[in-house]
Amino acid sequence: MRDQTLKYLLVVPAVLVVFATAVWPLIESLRFSFYQGRTDRGDFPQNWLGFENYTWAFLYEPAFWNSVWVTGLYTVVTVTLTTLFALGLAMLLAPGGKLRSGVQTLLILPFAMSPALIGVSFRFMFNPEFGLFDAFFGVVFPPLADVSWLADPDLAFAVIVMADVWGWIPFLTLVLIGGLASVPQDTIEAAQVDGASGWRVFKDVTLPQLMPVLAVVIILKAIFSLKTFDQVFMLTNGGPGTATQTLSHYIYITSTRYGQVGYAASVAWLMVIPMMVLTYFYAKFVFKKD
Amino acid sequence: MAEIRLNNLTKRWGDFVGVDDQSLHIKDEEFLVLLGPSGCGKTTTMRMIAGLEDPTAGEIWIGDRMVNDDLPKDRDVAMVFQNYGLYPHMTIFDNIAYPLKVRGTPKADIEPRVKKAAEQVELTEFLHRKPKALSGGQRQRVALARAIVRTPKVFLMDEPLSNLDAKLRVTMRAELKHLSRELQITTVYVTHDQIEAMTLADRVAVMKNGVIQQLGTPDDIYNDPANMFVAGFIGSPAMNLINGSVQSGMFVTTGGTKLVGIGAPDRETAILGVRADDMSVHDAGQGDIDVSIYAFENTGESTLLTVQWGKQRVIARGDRHLRKEQGETVGIKLDPDHLYLFDPDSGDRIRLGGK
Ligand SMILES: Nc1ncnc2c1ncn2[C@@H]1O[C@H](COP(=O)(O)OP(=O)(O)OP(=O)(O)O)[C@@H](O)[C@H]1O
Ligand SMILES: [Mg+2]
Repeated sequence: MRDQTLKYLLVVPAVLVVFATAVWPLIESLRFSFYQGRTDRGDFPQNWLGFENYTWAFLYEPAFWNSVWVTGLYTVVTVTLTTLFALGLAMLLAPGGKLRSGVQTLLILPFAMSPALIGVSFRFMFNPEFGLFDAFFGVVFPPLADVSWLADPDLAFAVIVMADVWGWIPFLTLVLIGGLASVPQDTIEAAQVDGASGWRVFKDVTLPQLMPVLAVVIILKAIFSLKTFDQVFMLTNGGPGTATQTLSHYIYITSTRYGQVGYAASVAWLMVIPMMVLTYFYAKFVFKKD
Repeated sequence: MAEIRLNNLTKRWGDFVGVDDQSLHIKDEEFLVLLGPSGCGKTTTMRMIAGLEDPTAGEIWIGDRMVNDDLPKDRDVAMVFQNYGLYPHMTIFDNIAYPLKVRGTPKADIEPRVKKAAEQVELTEFLHRKPKALSGGQRQRVALARAIVRTPKVFLMDEPLSNLDAKLRVTMRAELKHLSRELQITTVYVTHDQIEAMTLADRVAVMKNGVIQQLGTPDDIYNDPANMFVAGFIGSPAMNLINGSVQSGMFVTTGGTKLVGIGAPDRETAILGVRADDMSVHDAGQGDIDVSIYAFENTGESTLLTVQWGKQRVIARGDRHLRKEQGETVGIKLDPDHLYLFDPDSGDRIRLGGK
């Protein structure tokens, strides 16, 4: 057998596995999204509906719009907070920064934790009776001690944001440290001698040169924020009510609890649109030829 | 307008000493050239003056102010970096304009000044480009323009002409000389180029291993070197250093040839220094010593003869019309007024008779 043929033959099993586990379900979900596909009926899927699932989501489902709003807000807030914190930390930890040493290694820890574990630990920390925050505020500011954080719509949202930001900062910080390290030191020194203050050096010299990496960080985080499911599931299960229900959670609930697989599939495919846009920009920045 | 004083300046990284307890007083409006082999601490000295490197010990004064604790931006210096340090995301115009912008120069003043600086370094046609689209020599000129666009207290120039072609280097050298006279700004200038050092400098500081070996006018450095290192470092070709001894007033080579009378007490070992230009080439038997030609080079302006001198090789300069063949024997005569004697162990100069 020729090497050429063998080469392709060896890849075949992997291709088949990927096809069976990723490509096929993807195609099927697209097909279901055009059908009435309820799991509580005998046959599956049932009637061909065309685009009705899609228009239904837009026209008759306030819960859909609610989750779009929650997801959008969640994405904007977490991307902003995570990026700002990560950038600040990276500036401190980058070569020539003010902190350094073993802190970097310590930093990666939260990212190594599974999202489920982060969820559980945050839920525990915010427990109104024996959580960390209860104990903390009990000493520092008693009026805040017995707040049931996860029962209030706004506070619950804030807690999820916190857990997410906390979990994502380390990774993005490391990426940004790498980005900062690739900004030539002599351009920074030139600006200092030219008369720029610390802030102006950052704004005029560091930031523009960091921009490609920063853009990748923002887009990457936005993609992950849009998909958020685990924190919501672990901490609030979308509640109170639907105050913290993201799109992913909405899809999950409609398909599992209400058995509307066809409809859920159509919402999932709607989510593909912003993802595609973000992925396009991501690819543009990552594979930028300059 | 300011003088620079370095008082017992030291820079150490761990055990490594970059600059070793050096004091230097650079006068107001002076053009000081730092000369020395690679790694001797020239850039380090500059960076400490600019505030980019903290001295391990010692004081830096610019004018009547101790600037050790001042940030680079507050020291009012302009620097040409050895590796340019251009802003890659800005156009050439914005690169040159940056020091003016951050120091709050009125908008209307910026453009004419940038244009003028660009003209001085012959870069006007590239103002809209980014640094990436320029050649090494062009980038270096941008770095130069960015420094001269402003009138700072001090210019620091770290090999600002090193990447230019021979012709442009001569033009730029003249431009810098003119500029430094016109603006009367104290300048510290690093170069490897002897001619640059000799032509630009009011005074030259020759460094080695973080220590200034000699500080003096170009004339002093060239004609009155303080030690063997300076003698061997300055001049192209380098000064010939011939091993031998002094016996009853004569310098005798290791090979036993009595060479020239020299006004020094007898010693077991000595090194005779003589420049290529201070030797003349004659027919065999007509000089102080007969030697055979190892290599003959014609540089256009003159000829260089590498001759076999016992076990050593020595370079003599000949007339530009001289033509000799490899292997021929010639007589070499030394100019007795321009001989230098050194202690081979310490490298110190042994002063001769009158000088
Ligand atoms: N950050 C540093 N850490 C350790 N050693 C350093 C550092 N910076 C410079 N040095 C050392 O200090 C010495 C002097 O360096 P410097 O850059 O001043 O040399 P230079 O005279 O400018 O040489 P060149 O002519 O090659 O530019 C060198 O041996 C260099 O390796
Ligand atoms: Mg240097």
